[in-house]
Amino acid sequence: MNYDFSWFHVERAFPTLLEGLWVTLELTLWANIIGLVLGFIVAIGMMSKIKVITWPLTLYIEFFRCTPALIQLVWFFFCVPILFNVWWSAQFMGLLALGLNLAAFNSEAYRAAIQAIPESHTDASTALGLNGLQRIFFVILPQALLLAMPVLITNGIGIFQQSALVALISVEDLMYQGRYLSSQTFRPIETLTLVALMYFAVSFPVSLTVTYLERRTKRLLAT
Amino acid sequence: MAFVEINNLIKRYGSLTIFDGFDLTMSSTDRLVLIGPSGCGKSTLLRCMMGLEDIAGGTISLGGDPYITGAERGKMTLDKTVQKEVGMVFQHYTLFPHLSVLGNLCLAPMRSRGMGKSDAQDKAMELLKRFGLGDRAKFYPSQLSGGQKQRVAIARALMLDPKLMLFDEVTSALDPELVKEVEQTMMELAEAGMPMMIVTHDMHFARNIATQVVFQERGKVIEAAAPNDLFGNPKQDRTRDFLKNVLNIEG
Repeated sequence: MNYDFSWFHVERAFPTLLEGLWVTLELTLWANIIGLVLGFIVAIGMMSKIKVITWPLTLYIEFFRCTPALIQLVWFFFCVPILFNVWWSAQFMGLLALGLNLAAFNSEAYRAAIQAIPESHTDASTALGLNGLQRIFFVILPQALLLAMPVLITNGIGIFQQSALVALISVEDLMYQGRYLSSQTFRPIETLTLVALMYFAVSFPVSLTVTYLERRTKRLLAT
Repeated sequence: MAFVEINNLIKRYGSLTIFDGFDLTMSSTDRLVLIGPSGCGKSTLLRCMMGLEDIAGGTISLGGDPYITGAERGKMTLDKTVQKEVGMVFQHYTLFPHLSVLGNLCLAPMRSRGMGKSDAQDKAMELLKRFGLGDRAKFYPSQLSGGQKQRVAIARALMLDPKLMLFDEVTSALDPELVKEVEQTMMELAEAGMPMMIVTHDMHFARNIATQVVFQERGKVIEAAAPNDLFGNPKQDRTRDFLKNVLNIEG
């Protein structure tokens, strides 16, 4: 290999990359807020016995789970404005696509967790004189959230990584800035490696946390 | 008027009929033990009494108050105030794993009875100490042995001052060496005068704790008698056969 490493450019580029990281983190945060809240609502809706509710929700979940995140993003950016005559910023469109994608995956995590709580806890709650709402709020949901948490965090950090796709619709995130700087400086190895390391630096501690949480939850919920 | 009165109980699961006109009474000084082959409806009976099963006919009364009335079509009627006077302990403990022992005991009194936190905790500590579990209050269920879990489950049910306790095979899931501590707890409760209905496969324990033993088969009471009579001198052939079988297996 015949390549002169030059870290000078990288040093100069670093503040711009940090700006990009900030945009990425902002997107991730908001997408997660949408994903956690909307995902929960969808999960509750999916447990309904009314087909008029479950049908559209199933369609929504399967659409987002069975198409690439990239096409979802590009579709929102190019098609939604034409179809619905709304002209929002690229960043907002990106956020919408990522948030809806995450909500679809999270709703399944919530649903699986709620369904994993043994039926016998319903009997025990009744025997203790708890009514339906009390049972849901004090017995079923706290356990379900504990169970779902590792998956929710994994999905959430997945969106942090997927958010790199928004660079394609010219949202100035970390990926966008990395690509821009690497072509400006002709230093792809240094710049792109640094970008990768920055993604890693955020994701890795979260991944470790998930492993820890999983072990703890398993121990706590062991019967 | 009997303390517990079950009249003409009808219970079906789809096309399977468990009870087709089942009657049983029990006085408030009784500890009634239900024995019989598996699938004869012992556990179902307790579940019906707790209000966990929708019954298709008959009434169940406590203290002269018919609190469950079955309906052939539609849902049975259930008086929740009386239902709350019945406590139940299950085979698989069903402690809530996300709550500490203390949390498990305090949840129902605080949420369904509006008891204050400190009152509930005082009462819980008192019960736990009585059962020798005072040092386990801050533990989580996953940190307890099976016997401890089941004793906590009993304490949890007692937090609501039930007038009648139902025990559904509470020692069946336990390792043999842990059975004794749970049975002792139940004996202590019996001595304190708690009316109970118990489903168990442990004939020795049944004989010790019961004032009345009911042998049932295929949803019918075959024989009901004091423990010494039923075990020592069963009147019905089917009772005799059953006892011979289980006692032989137990060796």
